[in-house]
Amino acid sequence: MGGYFSRLLSRLWGNKEVRILILGLDGAGKTTILYRLQIGEVVTTIPTVGFNVETVNYKNIKFQVWDLGGQTSIRPYWRCYFSNTDAIIYVVDSADRDRVATSKEELVAMLEEEELKETALLVLANKQDMEGAMTHTEVSEALGLTSLKNRTWTIFKCSAKTGDGLTDSLDWLVNVVSGGNK
Amino acid sequence: MYTLLSGLYKHYTQKEEFYVIILGLDNAGKTTLLERIKSEYSGVPGLAPEKIAPTVGLNIGKVDISNARVNFWDLGGQRELHSIWEKYYSECHAILFVIDATDKERLDEVKQTFESVISSDEIEGVPVLMLANKQDVPSSLKVHDIKETFNQIALKLGARDSKVLPVSALRGEGVREAVDWLFVRLQRNRTNRPPVYRS
Repeated sequence: MGGYFSRLLSRLWGNKEVRILILGLDGAGKTTILYRLQIGEVVTTIPTVGFNVETVNYKNIKFQVWDLGGQTSIRPYWRCYFSNTDAIIYVVDSADRDRVATSKEELVAMLEEEELKETALLVLANKQDMEGAMTHTEVSEALGLTSLKNRTWTIFKCSAKTGDGLTDSLDWLVNVVSGGNK
Repeated sequence: MYTLLSGLYKHYTQKEEFYVIILGLDNAGKTTLLERIKSEYSGVPGLAPEKIAPTVGLNIGKVDISNARVNFWDLGGQRELHSIWEKYYSECHAILFVIDATDKERLDEVKQTFESVISSDEIEGVPVLMLANKQDVPSSLKVHDIKETFNQIALKLGARDSKVLPVSALRGEGVREAVDWLFVRLQRNRTNRPPVYRS
């Protein structure tokens, strides 16, 4: 009942709450992106054990962003958070060519989950500030994004360190989430 | 008996699905068209045209027409993204090729791109509808102007249904006519490209 009223209220006030997961291998830069989005600053982070949850307000939409840890031991638990997810942000370390294949495997396995069948996917090719970083076309090829046929997806290059590309990608998310275009 | 009954059951509950790819150069208006199609056929207002940013990945639109579902795949039009297009060829039932009819300078580029699309073996016989978009702009090229340019490569189209129609994705004019034309061709071409069944 309470949930019903809060939904009704949020509809009246136009403050839609949206749940977004930030996923990716360890060291991809998920937590840095989360805090960059939230406070607009670079925060020195330590590897996330468990998760960080923060609310990010952007263009009248309240994003509840879940940053799940990326270490191998934690990844099986990602699944617990999949239901009621409106969009996924998948972060890739564009400078880490050695592990992009692992990142692909992880992504493919995740997208097979029933609960995420039609969830929109935003891939962030992070660490573009680093020398030798893969371009976003290279990353999308390496992740096999072009074989996705039943979900809306996009890829943005970004740098959590400099902040480049992050607002553009949020704009995309706002459109997809508010347009009901999953 | 079981087979008959289950076959009948399937016949009535399954939905035929078709896939249409929307191609064309960047800024042709592909995503605007997709949003317009979505709002025309599902009644939900689409994304406002001024909010649409260049597509890099894939936008999806699903609309139900009579008893079938038509899925639209809207792909990015920038040059470096053209390599993605062909990944969708083998599974598509028709192609919507959108042209910015106000951009006369890029007409040659449009022609080359179109030629390479229709020359692909993977989409032999697949219906192609070319849309002269942005007809709301008075100075835009009309259908007969565009046909003149493309008549030169008409031979390459081979034995497939194809047509050029005028639209304004911005205002919605011609969009229903275009989709209706396409839908008839999807049905006609079903022996060549049978629909996908999902229950």
